[in-house]
Amino acid sequence: MKQTMPRKVALVANCLLNQNAKVCEGARYRGLVSPVVEALRSRGYVLQQLPCPELAFAGARRWWAVYEQYDTPAYRAHCRRLALAIAPLIESYLRNGDEVILIGLDGSPSTGVRFTSSKPDWGGRPNRPEDDWEIVPRRGVWIEELEAELGRRGLPPLPATGWALDMGRFDEAGSRRDLEEFLDSRESGGAGPRNKDSGTS
Amino acid sequence: MSNDSRGWRIALVPDTLMNPPHDERAALPDVLNLLEASGHGVLQLPQPGEHRLLLAVTADQVAEYSHHGYAVLAIGLRGLSDNGLHWRRLAPLLRNRGVALPPRHIVRRDGDVALESQRLAAFLANYDLPAEEQRRWRV
Repeated sequence: MKQTMPRKVALVANCLLNQNAKVCEGARYRGLVSPVVEALRSRGYVLQQLPCPELAFAGARRWWAVYEQYDTPAYRAHCRRLALAIAPLIESYLRNGDEVILIGLDGSPSTGVRFTSSKPDWGGRPNRPEDDWEIVPRRGVWIEELEAELGRRGLPPLPATGWALDMGRFDEAGSRRDLEEFLDSRESGGAGPRNKDSGTS
Repeated sequence: MSNDSRGWRIALVPDTLMNPPHDERAALPDVLNLLEASGHGVLQLPQPGEHRLLLAVTADQVAEYSHHGYAVLAIGLRGLSDNGLHWRRLAPLLRNRGVALPPRHIVRRDGDVALESQRLAAFLANYDLPAEEQRRWRV
């Protein structure tokens, strides 16, 4: 990729630009999650969509699942393949001196950043009458594998947050405030496109 | 899926149309705004270059959508290699997965922006799966 002036780049969870990727009954918007897109574009971020790990693995009509159900060797291998697909782009941004941030999906078993969903005894017939999973503070499986691949390439950890779509009761106004505080704290903290000469490895 | 808001429609979009260069921004339709208005989700295609694995991953996703009642279309940009759609590589990947090639709309760079926006909006509004296919899947 040709070198360009350093930019601000937001790696965005697939379903934040495409709610059709969500598990059945999980879509809160028709397509784009417009508050996220607006918050990022208004602050000058370039959008880079991440692949959806669950859709290509378990399909468009998959059951709901928690972290423990996706924490399998086969799913992690699938996530590593996706990480290999997208990591060269991320690496090129970082080598160009771009400021790169990650916006995941809090509560997701795959794309959670600050929180994921957990219920170790989920399994078998999908007959849970209530939303009885727990929210625990850890990455989802996909984000763990993506960060591991970036680490193998000698790239620094990315500043990251999550849009709280999968935390149980969805609070759009609260999620928007939360995201804007994260983005504005980066501005006020002096974060910006990295000096190209500072190196990233 | 009564508690679900998905639009069942998805657009393949080149990176350049999602993130237009600063000096071209005023000369191109605001594609994300038009997609938001029409209820389409986005699958972003990378800048021209070698992206074999990423395009294979994209083809997997398009196949999954196409086989389960989602309408997938593509928006290209004239002047980019393959109109920014990586069609020479993506088309065989889709055929290998048994997917009919999505309809394409090509945005012109030198056209009137308002007119180009209208043309794109009409394309987005007018394409969907036949009613019978919609009824089969979208319940």
